[in-house]
Amino acid sequence: MAKLSKEQIKALQENRCYADDWSKIEIPDDFKTDRIQDCYFKGNIKIGKLNGKVDIGDGIERACGIYRAKLNNVNIGDNCYIADVKGWISNADIDDNVVIENVGDIKCTGETTFGNGNPIEVLNEGGGRELKITTKTSAQIAYLTVLYRDKKNLVEKLNNIADKFSASFKKNRIYIGKEAKILNSVMLNNVYVGEAAEIKGAQYLYEGTIDSSKEAKTEIGNGVVAEHFIVQKGASVKEGAMIFSSLVGEGTKIGEQFSAKSSVFFANSEGFHSEACSAFCGPYSVSHHRSTLLIAGLFSFYNAGSGTNQSNHMYKLGPIHQGILERGCKTGSFSYLLWPSKVGAFSVVIGKHYANFDTSDLPFSYITDEDGKSIITPAMNFFTVGTVRDGEKWPARDRRKNKKKLDLIIFDVLSPFTGQKMIKAIKILQELYDSADKGVEFVKYNGINIKRVLLKTNKKYYQLILSKYFGDVLIKRMQKSNAGKISEILKIDVQGVSGKNEWVDICGLLCTKERLNKLISEIESGKIDDFENLQQELEKIYNSYEADEWNWVMENYKEYTGKEIVSDIPALLDAWKEASVKLYDMVLNDAQKEFVGNTRIGFGIDGNQDADFEAVRGKYDTNKFVKQLLERKSKVEETYNLLKGKL
Amino acid sequence: MSDTFERVKKVTAELLKVDESKITESSRFVEDLGAESVQSIELVATFEEEFGIEMDENEALAVKTVGDAVKFIDNILSKK
Repeated sequence: MAKLSKEQIKALQENRCYADDWSKIEIPDDFKTDRIQDCYFKGNIKIGKLNGKVDIGDGIERACGIYRAKLNNVNIGDNCYIADVKGWISNADIDDNVVIENVGDIKCTGETTFGNGNPIEVLNEGGGRELKITTKTSAQIAYLTVLYRDKKNLVEKLNNIADKFSASFKKNRIYIGKEAKILNSVMLNNVYVGEAAEIKGAQYLYEGTIDSSKEAKTEIGNGVVAEHFIVQKGASVKEGAMIFSSLVGEGTKIGEQFSAKSSVFFANSEGFHSEACSAFCGPYSVSHHRSTLLIAGLFSFYNAGSGTNQSNHMYKLGPIHQGILERGCKTGSFSYLLWPSKVGAFSVVIGKHYANFDTSDLPFSYITDEDGKSIITPAMNFFTVGTVRDGEKWPARDRRKNKKKLDLIIFDVLSPFTGQKMIKAIKILQELYDSADKGVEFVKYNGINIKRVLLKTNKKYYQLILSKYFGDVLIKRMQKSNAGKISEILKIDVQGVSGKNEWVDICGLLCTKERLNKLISEIESGKIDDFENLQQELEKIYNSYEADEWNWVMENYKEYTGKEIVSDIPALLDAWKEASVKLYDMVLNDAQKEFVGNTRIGFGIDGNQDADFEAVRGKYDTNKFVKQLLERKSKVEETYNLLKGKL
Repeated sequence: MSDTFERVKKVTAELLKVDESKITESSRFVEDLGAESVQSIELVATFEEEFGIEMDENEALAVKTVGDAVKFIDNILSKK
């Protein structure tokens, strides 16, 4: 780099440029003065090479250079295009190939961590569960920090890790990464802009990081207002969204005037139109409709119907209540939940619920209200088309393009996590049945009502699902290990931990308590003291899932049936076949309902109801999903015969 | 009218909250009597309890009319 020569200063002045001190400007050897026009320079300025052209996608090629801009203490990389800066670019390091056009202020106003380490009151508006958000905060790290408050040392150590990382971010200059584009935006103060990020038409961004990479570009769009925020790789925040003290996770989409305060949205979540306040939205949490409020709740693999609402206080000591919807839940239109409540995995909530209940032992349930009374129908939701479709769509809709993903996700609907719940549920339902007076319509469990007459049926359904699950895992194991004797394949996996373990869902990552406790003690002891190590250890847990799952199935099959798997394979396969066929029939039956009776209301507005319906919705027999289910059902027999032959 | 029909009618009327006199053998549980999916399961469970029988879920749910339900139940009872 060199200082400007007298000739170059003169040429710049002729290009209507002004500097408080020309000697503070550094330039490359092949500096082109004609690429700088109508600029005001203050403080130390470094300008890179200004060669070539850029195209921002509108078909107009722009010559790299600096035009109509005011710059204060700015370093500019090679081949950037900066034009029409109405305010100032101040205290900034701009990397190579950056495009900035038609903006107001882009400034660093003092020392900042760009939103990293900012404590937000997630899950409990009143505080007590603060999470220090950073670009490295994963769903798992957030879960441990927010929900394990009884482990003071753990929380302190996790906060230290966040602080250490945030301190490494601390600067008094902003950074704009390689190939980033900032267009038509009004104000960016104390914002870190990652590589290849695109900011188009943002209104006001303050104290935040937009993490981004070439492979997972992050987008900020029109009218966005964001303060004290973190946006992780591959996410987008657009269309007038407002984000305050919030984290937007990898591959998440926020837009269409969604507003969020003190909330987190992990991998592939979606927030449109509606509102989130102190919401802990784990992976795949989706709220698309106006009038929907997610407040003080823990959600994951969740779908909010329009007008969904929850209450987190009862006008007493303030907003101290919180709610938990375990993975895979849905809330129907205008459903309401009174916090505190806990809803079991993969359940559907319909109607308004004014009772505080805990259904976490009863997964796959319908929760409905009947004349103000909350009623649960356990296991029913497993047989719906929706649950089957959900289980398949989540992995298929993973938008994260970055190789190293922050949130570690086990997608399985049937897993040791739901398996252990079903085993428990079978016992609970039997006990309730045995102790219930045959004259009563309902029995009560953890604050919710169950129809007595359905207890046996619900129990039977859980048994059916378990038979399918045990068989699925056995078949996976047998198919994976083509060679080898059955007795070799079907023994305890030495890579896995004991099958007697309890399983937990740490916000997308299913794991044994043993592995989690080991991780926690390593964090508490200081052995794990940065995000990199922590992520590595979480990845080890993630990679151990299959071995741990197998050991759980081996152990729990024995516990549940009283027989060792290895000596009971024919019976297990028989039960699997019967359960699978039955389940597919029930799901197909559910799918069929989408094509008959009342579903045709409103079709054929002036006649030809059936023809109109079929033109829009198609026919049951030719429906893609139905065909897939039928194909799978036919494969049950095939697989069964194949495996039986191997025995 | 068979005893089974009378008992099926009574159970159905109570559960679906419909007028017992309106229920005929040709009444369809879903289309005519408004049975929703959970109610259909509940009907099967209540019939099981009422008649002291076990019904195959899928076969039972395939039954569309009250008359067919009566036949289905009578068939199981005859095998007891």
